[in-house]
Amino acid sequence: MNIRKAGFAPRTFMLMLMVYLLLPLLATGIYAFAQDWQNTLLPQAWTLNWFGEMFKDIRFLEALWTSLYLCLISVVLSLAVMLPAVFVITIYFPRWESFMKVIVVLPYAVPGVVAAVGLIRTYSSGLFDIAGTAYLLVGAYFVVILPYMYQGIRNSLLTVNAVELLHAAELLGARRRTAFMNVILPNIWPGVIVSTLLSFSVLFGEFVLTNMLVGGHIQTIQVYLYQRMGESGHLASAIAISYFLFILVLSMVLMKLGKKMGGGVKG
Amino acid sequence: MNDYLKLQGILKMFGETCVLDNIDLEIREGELVTLLGPSGCGKSTLLRCIAGLSELDGGRILLENKDLANLPPRKREVGMVFQSYALFPNLTVSQNIEYGMKMRGLSKAARRSRCEELLVLVDLEEKRDVYPQSLSGGQQQRVALARSLAVQPKVLLLDEPLSALDAKIRKNLRAEIRDIQKRFNMTTLFVTHDQEEALILSDRICIMNGGRIVQDGTPEGLYTAPRTEFVARFMGSYNVLTRPEVMALFHGIDSGMDSFAIRPEAVTLLHDGAGQQEAAAGAQLVNGVIKSVSVLGNIIRCTVEAEGIRLTVDLLNDGRWLGAREGDKVTLALNPSELLHLEREGA
Repeated sequence: MNIRKAGFAPRTFMLMLMVYLLLPLLATGIYAFAQDWQNTLLPQAWTLNWFGEMFKDIRFLEALWTSLYLCLISVVLSLAVMLPAVFVITIYFPRWESFMKVIVVLPYAVPGVVAAVGLIRTYSSGLFDIAGTAYLLVGAYFVVILPYMYQGIRNSLLTVNAVELLHAAELLGARRRTAFMNVILPNIWPGVIVSTLLSFSVLFGEFVLTNMLVGGHIQTIQVYLYQRMGESGHLASAIAISYFLFILVLSMVLMKLGKKMGGGVKG
Repeated sequence: MNDYLKLQGILKMFGETCVLDNIDLEIREGELVTLLGPSGCGKSTLLRCIAGLSELDGGRILLENKDLANLPPRKREVGMVFQSYALFPNLTVSQNIEYGMKMRGLSKAARRSRCEELLVLVDLEEKRDVYPQSLSGGQQQRVALARSLAVQPKVLLLDEPLSALDAKIRKNLRAEIRDIQKRFNMTTLFVTHDQEEALILSDRICIMNGGRIVQDGTPEGLYTAPRTEFVARFMGSYNVLTRPEVMALFHGIDSGMDSFAIRPEAVTLLHDGAGQQEAAAGAQLVNGVIKSVSVLGNIIRCTVEAEGIRLTVDLLNDGRWLGAREGDKVTLALNPSELLHLEREGA
């Protein structure tokens, strides 16, 4: 098929949009490498000092590590709970799906600030006195990524026609668990990986909930960035750029996987 | 009679609605029985109940006198082919075919040799290491067929296996399925909504409507002697007539029935004026006008209006009727012995 090139006007518009979106990022990038930037258009001297300082700061690496493992734990926990749950609901209790759909949009319906205040109130006394701890954060993270995990797993199951695959395998003599392991799991795996990575990058970029729930207690990369911003603009820029690059790489991996999935599973 | 598969009083409810209403059916070993009916008549549900994919609300399923009711699908020794093929996308053609044998613990060598036999049978030796996505629909369905046959099921269930294929492939695969079924003497239950498919394939046809088997019999028997209006309309383009209509066309009848049918090819058309012989043979002559003509190949299908009643008439396309046009005056020769007396629905 011959795809027609976009006309002049749309292309100009796209270009302007890109400039609008990327200019702040570019400025941040330049600032992160600038040594002396006072009254000229571009910095007079360049340096890697800010990045050096960032990596020398033990707190940066600690914060990065904290973020990574908190996100990782939440995502793995979500995967462990959601994969069997969504499988059972989609295959055996399709009537519950309407109920699940409501549950799954709730995280969108409640703004982060409201959720944070509510969570702190609920969990700061009584039986579950876990306000400000990683437990509360992981719990909140679990809820935040619920929609991505649910939709991702469910769509994968529907795309591969899991119900009939399972029936076919059972009729050929497979036990349910065996059938799940060797005909369902391998086929939904790419889709599940994509939603897991998507969830991970959503959590990694989330700020409001994280800062409000554990801001004073646990230094995640988001909280750390927020705190260093007031100290040195150059350093904050360096952190922001590293943080951005990390998420960019993650998104690119996601897109690659998504494409591979689209090419692999045909209707 | 050696009834191999026996269904007794099968009952299935979906909420308040009764999808299978007291179904009784006996199938002999090696017989190919077709469940034929419009969508929603319960034919696929019946198949799923036999496979154990749907639970029964009443009745018994006996296979070689063994009750299947409490067995999970994997222990029923029933093979099934789905409309959507349901091949495992992560396995190659030969891995798909070997899957069932592997689950049953056959040795690798035994699996390999049986798989090769089946690949030859369905003519896909070249495709053994290919993934299902790169096969055509017809090829995929042949793999699915081979996969079900690999575990040597006692009964093979085919759930509209040809419906997703285009006409030409459908015809070829239809013949292939029948051929393989006969060769293995495989007891087969075939579900379809296509009456032509049912007529060509089956030893016996069960016509289903509203969760019941309304009539069953051989293809010839069903086609020539439908008992109810539903069957008459479903099996062919029968002309279904009410009592007053029959009175007008045949000038009197000796039956208490309210509904009648006559096959379109049992009505003879005569050019105006000719036809004394037909009258002598006991046929009623009625004047009519051709309302529409369509050539279907070897058959010319006309709609003729006579006594205010529209009849479908099939003529053999032997050259005599190629000149027939709308508005032509004709004489219909109707033979009372061709008139079928239909029972009321549900009787």
